[in-house]
Amino acid sequence: MTTVAEVAPSKSRIDWTKPVLWLFSAVLIALILLPMSWLAVFAFTTKARQPTLQNFITLFSDPDFLDPLLTTAIIATTSAAICCVVAAPISWLVSRTDMPGRQIIRALVTASFVTPPFLGAVAWELLAAPNSGLLNQLYRYLTKAESDAVLFNIYSLTGIIFVISCYTFPFVFVLVANALDNMPGELEDASAILGGKAWTTARRVTIPLALPALVAGSLIAFLQAMTLFGSPAILALPAGFHTMTTKIWSLFQYPPKLELAAAAAVPLLLLTIVLLQAQKFILGRRGYSVLGGKYGPPRRVEMKGWRWVALAFCLIMLLNPVFLPYFALFNAAFSPNATTLVTPGTFTLHNIVFVFTELSSTQLALKNTVILGTATATVGTILALVIAYVTTRRVITGSRVLGFLATAPVAVPGIVLGVGLFLSYTRPPFVLYGTLWILLVAFLTINLPSAYQQLQAAFATIHPELEEASRILGASRLQSLWRITAPLLRTGVIATWCFIFIGVMRELSAAIILFTSQTKVLSVLIYDLNESGDLAAIAVLGIAMLVITFAVVLAVNRIPMFGGSAGARLRNS
Amino acid sequence: MKQKLSRRDLLKGSAALGLTAISASVKAAAPEPSAITPALVEAAKKEGKVVFYSSMDLPVGEKLGKAFEAAYPGITMQIERSGSERLFQRVDQEFASNIRAADVINTSDASHTIPWKKNGWLAAFVPEDVARHFPEQYRDPDGMFALTRVYLSSIAYNTALVKAEDAPKSFADLLDPKWAGKMVKGHPAYSGTIMTATFQMVREFGWEYYEKLAKQRVMQVQSSTDPPKKLALGERAVMADGNEYNVVLLKEAGQPVEPVYPTEGAPTISGPTAIFASAPHPNAARLFQAWLHTRETQQFFTDFTAQYSVHAQVQSKPGRRKITDIKLMKEDAAGVEAMAEEIKTRYARLFRV
Amino acid sequence: MASVDLRGLTKRYGSTAAVDDVSLRIDHGQLVCLLGPSGCGKTTTLRLIAGFLEPTKGEIHVGERLVSSKARTLPPEQRNMSMIFQSYALWPHMTVAENIVYGLRLRKVDRETIAKKLAAILATTKLESLAQRYPGELSGGQQQRVALARALIVEPETLLLDEPLSNLDANLREEMRFEIRRLHDEYRYTTVYVTHDQSEAMTTADLIAVMNGGKIDQLGTPEDIYARPQSEFVARFIGASNVLKGTARDENHMSFAGATLRVIGAKLAAGQSAAVAIRQHDIQLATQAPASGENTIQATVTRQVYLGASRDYVVETADGSSLRIVTPTDVAVEKGREVWLTLPPDRCRALSR
Repeated sequence: MTTVAEVAPSKSRIDWTKPVLWLFSAVLIALILLPMSWLAVFAFTTKARQPTLQNFITLFSDPDFLDPLLTTAIIATTSAAICCVVAAPISWLVSRTDMPGRQIIRALVTASFVTPPFLGAVAWELLAAPNSGLLNQLYRYLTKAESDAVLFNIYSLTGIIFVISCYTFPFVFVLVANALDNMPGELEDASAILGGKAWTTARRVTIPLALPALVAGSLIAFLQAMTLFGSPAILALPAGFHTMTTKIWSLFQYPPKLELAAAAAVPLLLLTIVLLQAQKFILGRRGYSVLGGKYGPPRRVEMKGWRWVALAFCLIMLLNPVFLPYFALFNAAFSPNATTLVTPGTFTLHNIVFVFTELSSTQLALKNTVILGTATATVGTILALVIAYVTTRRVITGSRVLGFLATAPVAVPGIVLGVGLFLSYTRPPFVLYGTLWILLVAFLTINLPSAYQQLQAAFATIHPELEEASRILGASRLQSLWRITAPLLRTGVIATWCFIFIGVMRELSAAIILFTSQTKVLSVLIYDLNESGDLAAIAVLGIAMLVITFAVVLAVNRIPMFGGSAGARLRNS
Repeated sequence: MKQKLSRRDLLKGSAALGLTAISASVKAAAPEPSAITPALVEAAKKEGKVVFYSSMDLPVGEKLGKAFEAAYPGITMQIERSGSERLFQRVDQEFASNIRAADVINTSDASHTIPWKKNGWLAAFVPEDVARHFPEQYRDPDGMFALTRVYLSSIAYNTALVKAEDAPKSFADLLDPKWAGKMVKGHPAYSGTIMTATFQMVREFGWEYYEKLAKQRVMQVQSSTDPPKKLALGERAVMADGNEYNVVLLKEAGQPVEPVYPTEGAPTISGPTAIFASAPHPNAARLFQAWLHTRETQQFFTDFTAQYSVHAQVQSKPGRRKITDIKLMKEDAAGVEAMAEEIKTRYARLFRV
Repeated sequence: MASVDLRGLTKRYGSTAAVDDVSLRIDHGQLVCLLGPSGCGKTTTLRLIAGFLEPTKGEIHVGERLVSSKARTLPPEQRNMSMIFQSYALWPHMTVAENIVYGLRLRKVDRETIAKKLAAILATTKLESLAQRYPGELSGGQQQRVALARALIVEPETLLLDEPLSNLDANLREEMRFEIRRLHDEYRYTTVYVTHDQSEAMTTADLIAVMNGGKIDQLGTPEDIYARPQSEFVARFIGASNVLKGTARDENHMSFAGATLRVIGAKLAAGQSAAVAIRQHDIQLATQAPASGENTIQATVTRQVYLGASRDYVVETADGSSLRIVTPTDVAVEKGREVWLTLPPDRCRALSR
């Protein structure tokens, strides 16, 4: 039997590819399985670590826990419905018609997406608090009504549903718009040739084809609404009720009832998993689609006389997540009284001065946020890149499991993850609580799935032969990944980096459980300021947050993200 | 141990402020008083930073911090502001994971010092000013905390929305149906002030009072610094509890708010400050604690923050109502400690959050 | 340079064998073509040789080394081979020059040598003026030459080509066929060339391996394959043949369509079914019965197409068999006419399988 002689001229180093890949798998497993295991331990055992179902019995027999469950269900369902009703027509108008200003609408939807929901909640407090809200003041002024007449009461179930819908509808928009963007124009041409008018075509061809995306989008919206912490925490307390997320958080009050918190997290987790499976079933494997298809550009429906009406409709819808709240924040930042309209006479920089020179937590929070944002984005992008590579090119056996693990965190609501990480890392051997590391782990876990999906889609556009050509000339897999694939993925990599960075900035539900005074981030600082009622400071910090976010987005504005790509520009032309 | 009730009149007047300090099983005597020495200042500057957990109103706290930084350049002050009950929970969490982040803590729930002393978490340190100028009943026999500030939780109303003659004058008035949907109050699970106030109220009026108040559709906020602000915004017309000093400060700033001192008496809140034994910047902590209780700083509290001081040399602010002129409810830190759990649970049940 | 030796190479996907027990020896310096329709396993074989796939069974030896076996497979980067891909796989973010020198850079060759070799290969492939362009700016033919240059500059032991010409238009394809052969003659690399186009194979190869269903059907020189096909598949695939099925009379006679044909080639077994191949242009078509009656069949014209350089006939014999015939243009017979076909015995090749 011939033995393998010494290796060929170019390489005789050890190929690090396989060990590196096994390492990444181990990291992934630690990120996900560890917190979930601790969660399970705490949920199913007593304080003495005896197995029991008592925690669940307590939970489900106490109206204090059942009420929030019901409330959350109502909020999530209604929000999802509203999101669909709003997002569907807007996506159709932007994607399939010749309505003017389509790029602007897409940009505004992006703005809605990057606005942190808790900031939107505070802004809406400024606008629609029953007595002091700007909109209510306007209403009373215009109608000369009684001083306690109220048009909008943001401190109510309706108010919460409204605010949550404002910042969740972009999720539905993205899915539906993507589906419509990639729908081959020929399908609608066929209908038109057979005599179908615009509305008939829309009804019988476009809508049925977009329906799976709509259903999938509504499931995502439901999940988002169910697991939000910031908006309910800010609006529900004054309104007088709890949601599941605020209830879980309240279980951390002294003395902490960790077993109950873990048990309360389980239904959220299970429901999320079930709904995600349903979504996958409906959508197949398409999550974030690759831009550009093999077909001709979509056939645009001519709106004729309706174009400006349509645009007005879109802009009015976007008043709610963007124009009005941003206005309220700017007003509060420069006014001595947060809900009084600023006038040239009362214009003051005092709030800004206070936040940036007197408030001692500002610098620390800004520093922590930027450090964590950058670190998470960088580590997350590399992690997602390698894992996407491994699963797309099927490098190791069980690469499918790796792909599953990379997407698994989507099933874990932020606050649940926070609880799991708290339970895992407040004990030896790894006491990460109190350091930035635990926040890094949390943010990484939360943002990895979408990063992975984006890069996976990007990988699909790169022909495997490009890497093979590199390998046959003597480069190892890792070298080829580095020299050939990564540069070609540059736009995708940068987009992913930005996506993660923005995701870190707006994250609150896990951070609120894991932070300590030295590891505070902007989102938590804003939440604390809301506790003490310092709305002007919130406005200033919120604007700072948005400025940073938009700077990051605009710095790479040619990137495929909600319509900023060349392909989408082509589509919109 | 012993509950000291003052037999002497207070230096300033007749109302009795009773502060019970129950020392724990540790029967150590208080250490010798310490002055602010150049050596201490040097050591503090080397450490360069002091981390202060406090529930003081944010601008007030930050102003204090800036004053300290101005007095001792080279030492930065980092203030972690949160409701006292939340701070208590955070401290508990941090200590459980061996995290030593905090140097000094000021809490508006005086009962917190009881478990902290029991756990041995506090460091004994007696500033010179405290030893010399603070009346005996306001000092901890073990020297583990000092009473930094005293204030009240009161009623207040928005003068643009409520005429003075219609304004409520007592806690009983708040139960009038005409105030339904028009009130705002804090929450004892977050705010030490509200926890203390609720205890005193329950002691005086029983839980029936809160059962009735809960039916008034009161807007629930977290911190006791928030109701005055909500009043100034015009969001609600009346505050059922909250920091009286915030109302006074807002009024001085031209906001349309007016405090009301309830006829039954206003709950009294004292805010002790303590140093943690595990403080990461022990010398800076000591310097700050000492500085906090000097006449100048205590005068600052009185002059600029509308709070009250027990330092013997501090002059009351002209035009400011003297604390001895206000009818107060009596404090009972041990009572609060015993009842805290029950207060949180029952309150949550009544007010549904 | 080295020989490439495939021994019993098999690659299974599930229960299907894409490559089934393939044994082939490519001598040092030879150019062997793997020819066959899509799905025959030629590309899989090539990728096995390259090391992108691992064999299920069998071995691959390059020179003295065992590079692929079920137990252990050397990765592509360690095989000292070069490959030209069907899509050329030029890296769009690198210039032509950078693409070409990639392999040398990996081998840590010094700058001077790189520059020299680059200049040489650019001259050989006539790409001097395009060195600084990007692949996206080049035509198909130019891209193909860059791929060639990139593969040749590293002076590999083995050169693999995967349908390199299929993306080019017809004229260019012809030109490049000769170019590849010329380069091979100059450099004499051991080359494996995969294609489905027989004219490519005929032009470039020393040896052709015709593949079908994962196996090598016939291995031989172009002339062998063309003139002496051994199987029905090869006969049909190479050149335009008719395959006549009938029963053998004896070793070299077969009855077909009522006539007895004398054939050459494989020895037939009397009484068994047999197949005989004859090229379409070897059949003679006449409107009258020929003088010699040997190997003559009667048939009717069912279709006739004028192709410019020739005429294409489809005729039907009495027993219903169809034959295709290509004749010079001056033989013009309309549809429906009766014709006599003469099949010269030395052109009737009996097939062994």
